[in-house]
Amino acid sequence: MRLGSHSLAIQSLTLVGSLSTLYPPWKKFMSNGLGSLSLQKKMSATLFAVMAAFGLLSYLILNAVITPAFDNLENDAAEKDLIRAQRAIQADLDKLRSNTGDWAPWDDAHAYVRGENPAFISINVDIPTLINLDVNLVLFYNLGGKLLWGQLVRDGEGADLASLGVFGEGSPLTERLIAHSTIESVTTGLLPTNLGPLMICSMPILKTGEVGPIAGTLVMARFLDDARVSRLSEQTEVDFAAYLIADARVNTAKPLEVLAGGDGNRVYQQTTDTEILSYSLLGDVFADPFIILQARTPKDISALGGQTVNGTLFFLTFAGVLIAIVAWVLLRRVIVVPLETLAKHIVGIRRSGDLSQRLNESRSDEIGALAHEFDKMTDEVQRARGLLLDQSFKAGKADTAAEVLHNIRNAMTPLINGIERLSQSFRVSSGMRIKEATEQLADPDCPIDRKAKLLQYIDASFDHVESVGESASGDLEIASKQARQVEEILAGQEKHANVEPVFEVLDLDEVVDEAAHVMPQAEAADLHVNMEMEVGEHRVRAHRVGLLQVMGNLILNAYESIQRSQSNAGQIRITASSETVDEQSMVRLTICDTGCGFDENIRQKIFQRGYTSKQGHMTGLGLHWCANALAGMGGRIQAESTGFGHGAEFHILLPSAQGG
Amino acid sequence: MNTHHHEDRIRVLIADDDEHILDCYRVAFEESEHTDHMQTLDALAAELFDPDTDVEDAPKFEVVACNQGDDAITLATEAADEGHPFNVVILDVRMPPGIDGVEAGSRIRKMDPDVPIVFVTGFSDIPRDELERRVPPPMKLHYFNKPLSFIQLAKDVAGMVKAH
Repeated sequence: MRLGSHSLAIQSLTLVGSLSTLYPPWKKFMSNGLGSLSLQKKMSATLFAVMAAFGLLSYLILNAVITPAFDNLENDAAEKDLIRAQRAIQADLDKLRSNTGDWAPWDDAHAYVRGENPAFISINVDIPTLINLDVNLVLFYNLGGKLLWGQLVRDGEGADLASLGVFGEGSPLTERLIAHSTIESVTTGLLPTNLGPLMICSMPILKTGEVGPIAGTLVMARFLDDARVSRLSEQTEVDFAAYLIADARVNTAKPLEVLAGGDGNRVYQQTTDTEILSYSLLGDVFADPFIILQARTPKDISALGGQTVNGTLFFLTFAGVLIAIVAWVLLRRVIVVPLETLAKHIVGIRRSGDLSQRLNESRSDEIGALAHEFDKMTDEVQRARGLLLDQSFKAGKADTAAEVLHNIRNAMTPLINGIERLSQSFRVSSGMRIKEATEQLADPDCPIDRKAKLLQYIDASFDHVESVGESASGDLEIASKQARQVEEILAGQEKHANVEPVFEVLDLDEVVDEAAHVMPQAEAADLHVNMEMEVGEHRVRAHRVGLLQVMGNLILNAYESIQRSQSNAGQIRITASSETVDEQSMVRLTICDTGCGFDENIRQKIFQRGYTSKQGHMTGLGLHWCANALAGMGGRIQAESTGFGHGAEFHILLPSAQGG
Repeated sequence: MNTHHHEDRIRVLIADDDEHILDCYRVAFEESEHTDHMQTLDALAAELFDPDTDVEDAPKFEVVACNQGDDAITLATEAADEGHPFNVVILDVRMPPGIDGVEAGSRIRKMDPDVPIVFVTGFSDIPRDELERRVPPPMKLHYFNKPLSFIQLAKDVAGMVKAH
C-alpha cells in the first residue's frame, strides 16, 4: 500500500511535469503559483485538486478498512467450513456409535458370545443387513478376546478380513481396542488400515437394557473413503477432502509443519487467487494424527468485497464529478461571472474614463453590495471630477490670465522704456541753464573766452532740444504702437476667454476631425483642396479646446497658403506617429500642405509674436499663440519647408496618453 | 552681429523672442549718439557753472542680440572660442518654439561658470529657487520681471560688470 501511494505520487509529479511543458497556463502556475491565474482557473484548479484528494482518500480508506474486513470475514468462513467438515465426520462417527449401541446391549448377542446362542449369526447378521446398516465391518469378540465372528464388506460383497492388516489374533492394537472395563465404556475414532481409514466403534456386549455382566466386545466400522467424504461434502455443502498424511495427491508438508509444530494451531490456511485452503489434523482412536482434512472455500466474499469497493469508488467518483460540475457551474454563475462583470466594468471605466456607467446590480448579497459600493464610489469620483474640472477651469483661467499678462508685459516694456527715455530727455532739458547763460552773455563784464563757451553751450543745448524733439516723436510713435498692441492682445483674448483649460485624454482622430470643420464649406469655384487624414488610433493628454484651436489655425493656414499659391488645386495631409523623445512617449502630428511654403528666413521668425504672412491680418496671436499654447500642454511645434512654392510641413509633438 | 570688438565696451548677449523688446534693449544700451550729445552738454555745463564737479563717463555697451535659446548658446560658444566672451548674458525665459531661457542659461553656465546671467520674463511662474538650482550660483544670477526700465537695467548691468 505504501509503495503504491509512493509510486502514485511520483506518477502525479511526472504528470504535472509533463503538463507544465505542454500546457502554458500550467507553466505559468508552476512558476508563479496560484496568484497569477484568473479566478475561473483558480476555481477549476481548486475543484480539481479537491476532487483528486477526495478520490485518493476514498481509495485509501476503502482499501485500508473495507477490503481487510471482507478478507477477515472470508478467513472466518473458511475456518467454519473446516469445522463443518470435522463435524460431519464426527456426526457420521456418532451414527456408527448409535448403530453399534443398538446391537451391543442385546440378550441374543450376549448369549451368542457366551456360546449359548450359536444360531445368532445366521439369523441376524448377513451381508445385506450390514449394507443396510451402512457398515463395512462387524466383529464379535468374547470376553477372552477371541474373535468369534467377523465380516468385512467391500463394494456390496464380502471380503477377506485379513486384507485390512489390523485385526490379527493377539495384536496389541486389537487388545486395546476391544478392552472395556465398565459397561459404559465406548471406543470410537478413526483407524488406519491397509484398505484405508476406518471409522470404528467398539462397545462391550451386554444384556438387553444395558445390564452386565460384560460378555464380549462388538466392533462396527465403516470406511472413510473418497465416496463417503464426497457424500458428506454434498450434505454439508463444504468442499473438503481427507488425505492420509503421506498421500501423494496433496502437498501436506507446510500444513503439517504448522499444525504439528506444537504452537497449538488447530487450523492452517493457505490462500490462492481463487480459494482459501484450510487444513486440520485428524487422529486415530488413540489420538495419533494420520489424516489431514482439507476444506476448500472459494474467495467469493473477498471478490464481493472487491466489487463493493470498486462499486463504491465508482459511485463516489461519479458523485464527486457530478458535485464538482454542479459546484463549478454554481460558483461560476454566482461568483465568477458577477466578479468578471464587475472587473470588466471597472477596466472599462478606467480605459474609457466614462464615469457615467453604472452596474445597477439587483443582487443583495456581498457581490451586490460590492457593486452598489462601486457605483457609489463612481458617483463620488464623478462628482470629484466635476469639482476638479471646475477647479481646473479656474486654474486654467489663471493660466490664460498669466499668458495674457505675459503678452501685455512684453508690449508694455517698449512703452514704458519710451516714456522713461522721454521723461529723462525732458528732465535733462529742464535742467539746462540756457537762461543763466543768456544773462551772463548779456553781461558786458563777461570775459570773451567765457562768452565763446557760453555760446557753445547754448548751441549744444539747442541741438539737444532738437534731438530730444526728434527722439520724442519716435518714442511717442513706438509708445502709441505698443498701446495699440496691448489693446489688440486684450481684444484677441476675448475670443479665448471661455476656453476650458483642462487637460484630458483625447483621441487625436476625433480632434483632427472636429478641427477640420474650419475648412471653408463653400470652396472657391476655382480651388479644390483635398483633405487627407490618416491619424490612426493615437491618444494624447492635452487641453481639448486649445488643441482644437491650434489644429484649426494650422489647417486654416494651410488652406490659405494653398489659396495664395495661385494654384487651382491642393492637398492637406494630416498624419500621426508615435515616438520617444527624451525617454517620454510622444505623438507626432504632421500637417503637410502643397501651399506656397516659405524660406529659411521666414522659418526662423514664423513663431515670433506679431509675425504674419497674411496681408490685412494683424492679430499677432497666430502661430506664436499656437506655440505658446502647445508649450503649455507639454508639447511643441516645428515648421519645415524647402522654400517658396514647395509647400510646408508643421509638426506638433504632444505627450502620448497611450495605455494611460 | 558685430564682429569688431572694443576693449572698453561691455559685451552683452541678449536673447528675446520679441523683436520689439530687442529694439528696446538696443536703444537703451547702444544710443551712443544721444549719449555723446548729452556728454558734451554735461561737460560744458560743468565747466561753466559747477567747476568743482567731476564728470563721469557713461558706460558703453556692445550688444549681440538673437531670438532663440539655441542661438544664444551658439553665440556664447563662438564668442568664448574667439577669446571675447560676453560680460553679461540677458535671457528671456520663454522663447517658443525652441528651448527656454532657463535651459539656455543652464548650458551657458556649464560653459562659463563666472558670467553674470540675467533672466527677464513676462511670466512670474518660475520660482527663484528653481532658477538658482538650475543656473547656480545665486550670486551670479539676476531675475527681473517685465515690464522694466531698460535704462535702469543698463546701469545695473554696468554695475554687475564693475562688481565682477
